[in-house]
Amino acid sequence: MEPYRQEIIIGAVIIYMVFCVITGLWAMRRTKNSSDFFIAGRGLGPIVVSLALFSSTLSGFGFVGGPGLVYSIGVSSFWMIVISSSGYALGFFLVAKRIRMIADVRNCISLPDVLAARYNSEAVRFLIAVTIVLGVMGYLATQILAMAVVLQAILSGTVMFAEIGLVTCVVISSTVLIFYCVTGGIIASVYTDVVQGAIMMIAGVLILLTAMSVFDGGMQEATSIILADDGEAMMPFGAAGIMASLGWFFVFGLGLAGQPHLVTKMMMNRNISDNSVILPMSLLGYVMAALLWVSIGVIMRAAVIDGVIEPLALPDDAASLFLSIFTNPLLAGIVFAGLFAAIMSTSDAFLNIGTAAIIHDIPKAIQGHAIQNELFWARIVTVILAIVAASFALYSHFQDATLVAILGAFGWATFAASIFPVLAIGLNWKGATAMGAVAAIVSALLINFIIQLAGIVLPYGILGGLVAFIVSLVLFIGVSLVTRKPKLDADMEAVLNI
Amino acid sequence: MRSILIYVIFATVLLMAGILVAICLADTVPNAAGLAHAQFNGMQAGGDGAARLEHIGGLAFAFQALLLLLIICLAALGVAEERRSTEFWAYMGGTLLFSFFVWWQMYFGHQAFLKTGVTSYFMGFPVATAWQVYGTWLGAIPLIILYSVGFRKFIFTEEDEQKYEKLLANIAKKSEQ
Repeated sequence: MEPYRQEIIIGAVIIYMVFCVITGLWAMRRTKNSSDFFIAGRGLGPIVVSLALFSSTLSGFGFVGGPGLVYSIGVSSFWMIVISSSGYALGFFLVAKRIRMIADVRNCISLPDVLAARYNSEAVRFLIAVTIVLGVMGYLATQILAMAVVLQAILSGTVMFAEIGLVTCVVISSTVLIFYCVTGGIIASVYTDVVQGAIMMIAGVLILLTAMSVFDGGMQEATSIILADDGEAMMPFGAAGIMASLGWFFVFGLGLAGQPHLVTKMMMNRNISDNSVILPMSLLGYVMAALLWVSIGVIMRAAVIDGVIEPLALPDDAASLFLSIFTNPLLAGIVFAGLFAAIMSTSDAFLNIGTAAIIHDIPKAIQGHAIQNELFWARIVTVILAIVAASFALYSHFQDATLVAILGAFGWATFAASIFPVLAIGLNWKGATAMGAVAAIVSALLINFIIQLAGIVLPYGILGGLVAFIVSLVLFIGVSLVTRKPKLDADMEAVLNI
Repeated sequence: MRSILIYVIFATVLLMAGILVAICLADTVPNAAGLAHAQFNGMQAGGDGAARLEHIGGLAFAFQALLLLLIICLAALGVAEERRSTEFWAYMGGTLLFSFFVWWQMYFGHQAFLKTGVTSYFMGFPVATAWQVYGTWLGAIPLIILYSVGFRKFIFTEEDEQKYEKLLANIAKKSEQ
């Protein structure tokens, strides 16, 4: 089997991509209006929602960047994973029930729709929509670039495609992504997410088993090698230190309930009572998939320190090198397909919410009503958004990475800081006001932007995103407390009372 | 209780903001957020762990303790006020104590390692790290259990469902008119 390693990996990736295309065609027949396109007509079962939810959480960052982070900074990055139980719990306690109810009562198809209804404010709708568009551009560009880099790494290992360029790889991977997102909208996305999630779970468990067999003494031998080299790297706060670790715990944990691509999926389930099983299933899936993050990172750091393998050129090479050195070709094929799955499941979610913000929310905020023929324009804008993001990714790769880096700051932390207070607290506290919401969103955007643009480095590894998040929480509650309590519409009052 | 709870959340967040300011103003130590590994490119090392915690260890401990309190309070905010019974608060209090215990074991396990340089192992990791990996994750599992098992008692009761269906029916009736 070993001589055919590259062919097996390529075969697994091709099978996966063909599956995505077929799913897109199948879902196209079920997509009849913009509600189907953006929120699957609120008719998905609990297994589909669970798998879609967790697979969208673990992007290419989790499968490529995660092991790289463990290689680079040790245990510090574990904090992004161990918070998952608290993060998912808060997301469901605070958001899942009411976002689904408001979506039903007001026929909402996007997160800005829900928040505009909650606060009776077009300003809140506009600000959240703009935040989403900015965040989506940065996220999508990095995801498309990651997809292309992985595809190039796989294809260039063969004789036929040895000279394949990055631009070609961007075109191939973006075409598949665009095809199933345009044809099948969110229905195609969530059903591909189901398979993507299953692949990620299987990959996580198999990789853990493989990783434990690399050293005779299993994981304990690997961690003791790292500990002997640098005690702090293997202790609870890792190389990055206590404040960076706790900052990640805060931003990734609480922030989960502020990620638009995740909370939007909480609007799609058929029954509210399904949430009682969606929560544990999503968490289980996430943990199984995240085993890959921890095990590859630890083993690769220990293997380099112990002289088993050469030092990595880049920390992000940890996952692909582990697969080529320590796994059999079949497993490598499954994991590479899982890697594409992780990247695509996040990309399709962002493409969907970005399109909704552009064709639905921003026009509604500015002119007071949605544009005509939303489904047609949704498909057009999905293509344009993906092409712009892909061009953006290539420009940043070949010319100037600054712009993507700045928009990259509008990633997880900015979504967390600007959306969590407004959504998660706002749906559970009738005293929250539109003024408080605007203050929270604007402060979160400004602080993240300023820290990124000015290159401000805070002491003890304190994250800029953590500062933005805490300021946003303080302003949201503080401003709401001092501004006049709003008179809620009768239906909103009823929803917030349930 | 809802109005008190939001004030508790607000006070907790304000205290955390204060601690962050105090940490920013504290004396700094070199390489507090790690340094490049002496031998391997792309790897960071932690260096002197005791020095890194010398000025801010207590503040960071308090910051995380408040964060654990914040998580419990926010979860409680997601439960309707009339269902926050004594039984509910006892359960949430127990969850908070368990999380504190895990945090205590992790932090002071790390401190013990810094003093002695030796550690035992649990399921593949040094004990303090095992508390982080397994304990922190398990710390919120009682919340997951409360949500899943107690869904019909605390989150969305039969009565809630009836109210909700009535609301939808009223909206449908109005739109028909």
